[in-house]
Amino acid sequence: VIRIAAVGDVHFAEDMLGRFSSQWARLAERADVFLLAGDLTNIGSRRQAEALAEELSIVTIPKVAVLGNHDYHYGEPDAVRESLEAVGVNVLEGDALTLRIGERTLGIAGVKGFGGGFTGACGHDFGEPEMRSFMRATEHSAQRLEKALLGLRADFKVAMTHYSPVKDTLAGERLEIYPFLGAFQLAEAIDRGQAHLAVHGHAHHGAERGITPRGVPVRNVAMALIKQPYGLYCLDTHGALQVERDSAEVIVE
Amino acid sequence: MDLEYQYLVARLQEALACDERVGSQDIKVVLTAGRIHLIGDVPTEARRAAADEVAHVIAPGVVVRNELRVLELGEVPRPEAIE
Repeated sequence: VIRIAAVGDVHFAEDMLGRFSSQWARLAERADVFLLAGDLTNIGSRRQAEALAEELSIVTIPKVAVLGNHDYHYGEPDAVRESLEAVGVNVLEGDALTLRIGERTLGIAGVKGFGGGFTGACGHDFGEPEMRSFMRATEHSAQRLEKALLGLRADFKVAMTHYSPVKDTLAGERLEIYPFLGAFQLAEAIDRGQAHLAVHGHAHHGAERGITPRGVPVRNVAMALIKQPYGLYCLDTHGALQVERDSAEVIVE
Repeated sequence: MDLEYQYLVARLQEALACDERVGSQDIKVVLTAGRIHLIGDVPTEARRAAADEVAHVIAPGVVVRNELRVLELGEVPRPEAIE
């Protein structure tokens, strides 16, 4: 069994220091890896990222993240990335990593993703340069995710995005803003890349559970939605729960 | 609703998103009976207070009902098996 803790949309800032320390300090007892699905900071400043890094420094299991739209707002996403990497967070954007957890391997591919909408109600690479640029950003992001997933050689593969790959996990959000919350191209990449699980954030008022057209489980782990310090998921060839055990040795390959 | 009220709601939502202390696109703004209601969850009391201040700046003289709640997190969940 591989135990995955995942949360998105923490929207951390200096006013939240210490908020999660008690729960995150015990993560190693319950999970093998901690996934952070974007909007890690509230406005994307270095100061906020450094505050989050301090909060995350107590987490001893591997930490893997993608950035979200809020992490870009201040115009210094590289500073956000650097601050998080300084405390051992692996920040993915169109790339992947593999962890060895016990006798199993877990591959994680991540991109921020982007909007565009879903089949039957989506934008196209057509018309004004601004619109074409918007949709090309989505296509490009999805292509990078697919390539990263296909490049993984692991027992289990997880796709992590900030934007949603499916409509299912947006249920509860206003229909008018669906195109700003996700894009079907991400689901296509997840399906083609044969992921076992996809996690995302961004949709605070959506639903936790969804599924891609080819059957990959999708989980929306936005903190405002799950109202927990993280969601917890187990990947197992038999689908059985086995949560009582010692922490596994984890090696980043 | 007065058309100007609709524009005011849009401007206030934009201000709440762009204010560095608030930074939320998640706050519902309702303007009814001449009062502004701020509705939703925010992570901290400081952001709740900042949202109130922003509303007063954007709509001076309008009564603001701050119904924002500070998000409370539950216990760590039981794990879900993914098959």
